Amino acid sequence: MTDRRPLDVLFRYGPVALMVVVGLVLPLTTSDYWLGRILLWIPLAIAALGLNLLTGFNGQISVGHFAFYGVGAYTCGLLVAKWDWPMGLAVLAAVVVCFVVGVVVGLPALRIKGLYLALVTLAVAVLFPDLVKHFESVTGGSSGLYITTPEMNSRGVVVERSIQILAPEGIDLSTEQWTFYLYLAVAIVAFIVVRNIVHSRVGRSMIAIRDNEVAAEVNGVNVAAVKVFTFGLSSALAGLGGAMFALWEAQLFPQSFTLGFSLVLLVAVVVGGPASVLGPALGAIFVGVFEDMIKPELPDELSAVTPLILGLSLVGLMLVAPGGIAGMARQLAARVQRSRPPAGPAKPSGDPISTQPSTT
Amino acid sequence: MTTRPLRMLVALLACLAFVAASCGRDDEADGGGDGGTDTTAPADGESKPFINPDEDCADYQGTAGISGDTITVGTVRPASGPYAIYDTVTKGIEAYFKAANAKGGIEAGDGKKYKVNLLKEDDAYDPSKTPDLVKKLVEQDNVFALVGDIGTETNLAVRQYLNEKCVPNIALATGSTNWGDAAKYPWYIAGLPSYATEARAFLDYLETTKPEAKIAILAQNDDFGLAYGKVIKQYIAETGSKMTIVGEETYDPSSGGTTEGATAKLAGSGADVFFVGIGGTQCSKTLTFIPATWKPMTYVSITCSGKLSMSLAGGKDEGVYTAQATLDTGSAADQANPKVQQLFTDGRAQGLTDSELSGGIVAAGWGFASIFAEGLKQTETVDRAGVMNALFSLDSANFGLQRDGTTTSTDGGDDPWIIESLRVVQRTGGDWTEVAPMTDYNGKSSSFAG
Repeated sequence: MTDRRPLDVLFRYGPVALMVVVGLVLPLTTSDYWLGRILLWIPLAIAALGLNLLTGFNGQISVGHFAFYGVGAYTCGLLVAKWDWPMGLAVLAAVVVCFVVGVVVGLPALRIKGLYLALVTLAVAVLFPDLVKHFESVTGGSSGLYITTPEMNSRGVVVERSIQILAPEGIDLSTEQWTFYLYLAVAIVAFIVVRNIVHSRVGRSMIAIRDNEVAAEVNGVNVAAVKVFTFGLSSALAGLGGAMFALWEAQLFPQSFTLGFSLVLLVAVVVGGPASVLGPALGAIFVGVFEDMIKPELPDELSAVTPLILGLSLVGLMLVAPGGIAGMARQLAARVQRSRPPAGPAKPSGDPISTQPSTT
Repeated sequence: MTTRPLRMLVALLACLAFVAASCGRDDEADGGGDGGTDTTAPADGESKPFINPDEDCADYQGTAGISGDTITVGTVRPASGPYAIYDTVTKGIEAYFKAANAKGGIEAGDGKKYKVNLLKEDDAYDPSKTPDLVKKLVEQDNVFALVGDIGTETNLAVRQYLNEKCVPNIALATGSTNWGDAAKYPWYIAGLPSYATEARAFLDYLETTKPEAKIAILAQNDDFGLAYGKVIKQYIAETGSKMTIVGEETYDPSSGGTTEGATAKLAGSGADVFFVGIGGTQCSKTLTFIPATWKPMTYVSITCSGKLSMSLAGGKDEGVYTAQATLDTGSAADQANPKVQQLFTDGRAQGLTDSELSGGIVAAGWGFASIFAEGLKQTETVDRAGVMNALFSLDSANFGLQRDGTTTSTDGGDDPWIIESLRVVQRTGGDWTEVAPMTDYNGKSSSFAG
């Protein structure tokens, strides 16, 4: 550890440090309008982090993860809107609910895998918006769930006002700035927790199961427990993202949690780099930049083919860098290090998972 | 079992997803500079203006969107998805403003002429997409107001935001009874008659022709569709009418399905009046689903009464009833009216075809734009509150495509409805024939809301 050279440290902590610094400076230099949009990339990144745990590290595919995002959003939204729960508690409840839902959905994963598991999660993704519409009396259906509190306006009339995450007294930040910092802090904690899990015994078990389930079992890994736990944890993270989304948007519609968005989440994971802790954050930024910044700027004639543009660039990226952005960076780091004479015994840099898929 | 096929699968799915989940957003244009806050509401002599921005607004930007002699306004409408037919409304709005611009602009109450620049956004009639687009129009593009914004749910999704920002939303292309709540939300004013008033006009007609009507209601399961059922029930309860509701079915526009099953069910209800509270092309389709054995008096929503919508009913529009508030550009008789002729002349000059101009939907947009223009003409102080206050204090006005001899008056929160005169018409031989004359429901719209 002590003989690590400056370059290693740079490659190892540079990207994290850069992202944190950008995250800290951004709210002070960006208009509230853009900040309001960019801060929604954070919940997306947390959900992608959860999906990555499942798909990247544990090898279970879910194409319906946005349903868990939706469960988290609606749980949090309903608790705050209908039962006046404090926001923080509602978020925690959403995380717990999503963990349980994830475990339940994950149970079939013990018997089925690969494409068939993907189909089960596909069903979950398709079902969720319909469930929201079906229980219209509670969820508001397609008319939406408005998370509001009654408040007297200047005319002396009571109106329903969207909830807001206000900065505490004495802190001179706009709602957008304060929420951004708060969400960034939550994200950092979530990423650290996941990093520690990945490096722990449970994390190694996840990876062992992904690489070779039989071998893992022979070596004493409790395959069933680890798989179900991973599914639950992954869902809980998606739920955390969803709850944060709900608190910021303050209005929820079933059409925000459709299959299409689940697949966007997968894109974030794939682009960022599966089986990399930081990858999902990079992927969420990629998706956010594309959806919020590039797409609106494209000329009208191209608006119908924007999905195609993204699809093609994705295929291109997969050909060039199958490990996503994180994988590409890791390869780059490896190349730089290889070009210099080793100072001591060669150490694999970065996460314990190699960029190249391990073969069995 | 390597991760490579997994990644390929993921990539493949991702590509498919983006093809499936597309949504177009358009235009760019950065708004520059905030408007000043130097002007306040016009002192209107005797009465106090309805909106006083000093009291009502935390951060009032009265002249945002006005730069020199150009006022930039925005509109959000479905240009994609199942309701894309309503994009034609926006064509009408655009034609009105371009025609006015070509003549040097609209002369406002302050004596200056203003050109109007319209920015369009597409929300595909999806309220989950509307807030982002409206925020962009207000905060990035710095629009003065929204004009002719389409959809009840979509407008509800931004109601609180726009009212808090004190940004006018003028001539909403919806008649939801929600817009009667101007006391709470003074920056919203509707461009259609209240759906409640519309239904009431038909009920008043039914009372004279079929007082013991057995009514079947088919409604879109949102605020727009469900409003009709509420109004009919309230009418029966309040007036002691002998009419009865014998069947009620709803239709979910986001389901992607059709109204066929629901129509078939209602056909078996024994009803002799069929009330269709459906919008978009599904409304026209519903007429084709009525079995030949069922011959009710069928009423279609005002939103579906244009010539274009009727032409999509495959000949099943004959005998259908609706209510009309304004001149009908598809009617031979009304085409002789100078106001309609003006629309045809100006519309053609803006590249619209005759079939678009007579289709009814363009005319609706034309009417919405004329409401904004009327607000501008009537205000001495050209700012956001000035235009709204002018529209909330109309006095026996007649503009846009209003029928000759009818007038409109508004009175702030007590009477926020601009369009309140209606007649009942029946479809005969591809044209509408009047069966009940224009009736002025001025000031009563809010009381009809169920």
